[in-house]
Amino acid sequence: MLPTAAEPHAQQHPIASGPAIQATALAKSYPGVQALKDVDFTVAAGEVRALLGKNGAGKSTLVKILSGAEAPDAGQLKVAGRTVDRFAPARALALGVATVHQELSLVPHMSVAENIFLGRWRNYRRHGLIDRNAVHRDAARVLAEFGIDLDPATRVSKLSIAQQQLVEIARGLSFQPRVLILDEPTSSLPASEVEILLRAIRTLSARGVAVVYVSHRMDEIQRIAHSVTVMRDGCHVDTRPIGDASTADIVRLMTGQSGAEAASRRTARAVGQVALKVSGLSTTSKLKGLSFEVRAGEIVGLAGLLGSGRTELLRAIYGLDAMSAGRIEIFGEAPADRSPQAMIRRGVGLAPEDRKKEGLVLDMSISRNLVLSSLHKITRRTMLSPRRQAQLSHDAASRMSIKLASLADPVRALSGGNQQKVVLGKCHAAGVKLLLLDEPTRGVDIEAKQQIYSLLQELAAQGTAVLVASSEMEELMLLCDRLLLMKDGEMVGERNVAQTTLAEVMVVAMGGTDPR
Amino acid sequence: MTTETMTPGDAVRIATPTARFSTRVDTELKGLLMALIVLCVLAALFAPNFATTGNLLDILRQVAFTGIIAYGMTLVIVAGEIDVSVGSAIAFSSALFGTLAGPLHFPLWVAALAVVALGAAMGAGAGAIRAWFNIPSFIVTLAMFSALRGAAMLMTDAIPIPILDESFQVWGSGAVLGIPVPVLIMLAMFAVFATIASRTAFGRSVYAIGGNAEAAHLSGIPVQRTRTVLFAITGGLAAMSGLLMTSRLGSGTPSIGYGVEFAVITAVIVGGASLSGGRGSMAGTLLGGLFIVVLSNAMVLLGVNSYAQDVANGIVVLLAVLVRTGVGIRERSRDFVEPHDVGPRRQ
Repeated sequence: MLPTAAEPHAQQHPIASGPAIQATALAKSYPGVQALKDVDFTVAAGEVRALLGKNGAGKSTLVKILSGAEAPDAGQLKVAGRTVDRFAPARALALGVATVHQELSLVPHMSVAENIFLGRWRNYRRHGLIDRNAVHRDAARVLAEFGIDLDPATRVSKLSIAQQQLVEIARGLSFQPRVLILDEPTSSLPASEVEILLRAIRTLSARGVAVVYVSHRMDEIQRIAHSVTVMRDGCHVDTRPIGDASTADIVRLMTGQSGAEAASRRTARAVGQVALKVSGLSTTSKLKGLSFEVRAGEIVGLAGLLGSGRTELLRAIYGLDAMSAGRIEIFGEAPADRSPQAMIRRGVGLAPEDRKKEGLVLDMSISRNLVLSSLHKITRRTMLSPRRQAQLSHDAASRMSIKLASLADPVRALSGGNQQKVVLGKCHAAGVKLLLLDEPTRGVDIEAKQQIYSLLQELAAQGTAVLVASSEMEELMLLCDRLLLMKDGEMVGERNVAQTTLAEVMVVAMGGTDPR
Repeated sequence: MTTETMTPGDAVRIATPTARFSTRVDTELKGLLMALIVLCVLAALFAPNFATTGNLLDILRQVAFTGIIAYGMTLVIVAGEIDVSVGSAIAFSSALFGTLAGPLHFPLWVAALAVVALGAAMGAGAGAIRAWFNIPSFIVTLAMFSALRGAAMLMTDAIPIPILDESFQVWGSGAVLGIPVPVLIMLAMFAVFATIASRTAFGRSVYAIGGNAEAAHLSGIPVQRTRTVLFAITGGLAAMSGLLMTSRLGSGTPSIGYGVEFAVITAVIVGGASLSGGRGSMAGTLLGGLFIVVLSNAMVLLGVNSYAQDVANGIVVLLAVLVRTGVGIRERSRDFVEPHDVGPRRQ
């Protein structure tokens, strides 16, 4: 029963007496991985529950099941006492479970109001035509109710990312749900907008709405959540009241380690000249006053949560985004030409976050992809030399240990790990000496991950400077010599891997205070 | 063939694709060649006077005027762009040439060079607008389609300007060793563009941009510059074709070139190029152009209603793309299947 034009804001989900949402013994597996194992998850009406866990812990799978996007293999889910018989997003909404997803899914050319009621316009029909005014009125009401200062008539494409995220949140709020699931809702929100969201959550909680808040930002969690659930390896580890959950406790639960382990030994590497020097770097969108150095032979990691600015930093160094302040020196020079072409000529290479969309031409052969940044190297008398291309691509492929049948096969034929090696091979073939990597092992199988780590260490041993951004802190602890900790676009710490622990790094990245 | 990890000790392999990947482009071209041969045989059997020297030269001459432009258009389409202004560019160059060589008494060679240079420059302008303002090429060249035709009419008051110099006629109507000059020029263009496509960094860039412009950009390919040059190429080629047509007519005519853009694009598409970019070849365009011209030539000789010919043309294009798409879908189903991927970014 969805809002009608006559009574658009009717409270159609009366608060039940029992738990708002109750999951018992949920299990879910995908080919090759058991994502959820026997998970219980119960949230009471009016309770704000934070949900935390590392990559692969099972959080996103749990959210998918709760929001109706996926059906569990085993177990039961009840919403306000009613067992969920069919798993579909529309069914979840009908039962009163609304989800605000991490990825924005707005229609840019439509207004805020139209996006909020996307798909529900049918309820605003009058004589077969949509009553635009009613849509706008109701949207204005939702926005005003939660203190979101946006004109419902504005086209979404004109809004900032932060404002767009607020529109997504307003959309979730407009369903008048009994359970609201928020997945990383503040990743793009500056402090003032975060306040608006937290206030909205308090309002909902007072009305008896259960809120599931998926995030790792402990400062927000400590202000808004009543309780915390931590997952690890597909299992529910613990649920405890917020008062018993310091950041250090949470990290211990997330990693399953006491945090006192020494970092792995590694052979010392000779460190050379300064390859990259960043001073006071700021960008209009995110970064604020970053300063650091990377030397030849070093592997430096950028650690931080989603939204901390790691990708933005790499993009700014590679010249893709403009600087509003600061200075970037590459091998001692601050070039005016910051195009990718110029960067590569200077010996800077980028392995982008999304290799299929940004790193590879999938229909082109492996060989051609490997030499894509080195066309000037294989040109002889204005013509491309097939022999040089064969030589260069063969060298790069064997250096990167790429598993392939023939260099002439299209690169789409390779596995994710091998595709990533092609991206690295392209940089290597171009003679890159400062390598920027964004999530280098996402979507890569274990074996290939290890190979990529060895590869990067070899490259560093040969004098390449490596700067790697990753959301997997363990990976950074394994791979890097030094970590730069980022939060909300600022550098909040720098640590030598040999002198810190995973737990400490995570605590700094997640923020929050010790409640004791 | 089993997969293996390459080691530094491997001999340098002349890379040939594993069997299941090499088939696609080759099969398409072979299929098109077969279809063309079958068509020629049928035409020779059933269409009166098809297999005469005169008729075959006519066919080649017809292919030549669009062919000259089609090889440049192939690069444009491979890059994921399109140029619908070439027909109007032909008219504009004809009108301009007539104006320069006629009332303004420019020497023929100077007028010709000026016309081609201006054609290339205007194309570069269109390309620059597309590249730097990120306006789709369809829109930019659509605007040119309109404006250039109008300018041609304006310049000549919509009346042909006769060119009295007889030596000019050689360009369009002359022949060397029995082969018409336009055909020689077309074959030269074929050779030039086939080389550009497969053996130059520029050609490689075009394929990369068409395949994935963002990846090409991040890999250091000068995307905007390449896009600008592509339209300069079609602009210049259209001007050249316009000059040859002008020569055959003997006058600067603002009313020629209607429909040329679609004939050119059709030849490129039938030849195997994909409008979304990344695929296409000069050989395919040559075969595609021949196929269409032979088909319509045979229909004329058979006395088929000219409107029915248009229908046949449309069906051929549709079939060519349908067959290709069908093969493509079957191909894709054999792509590497990843064990469960890690999902969208977390934390």
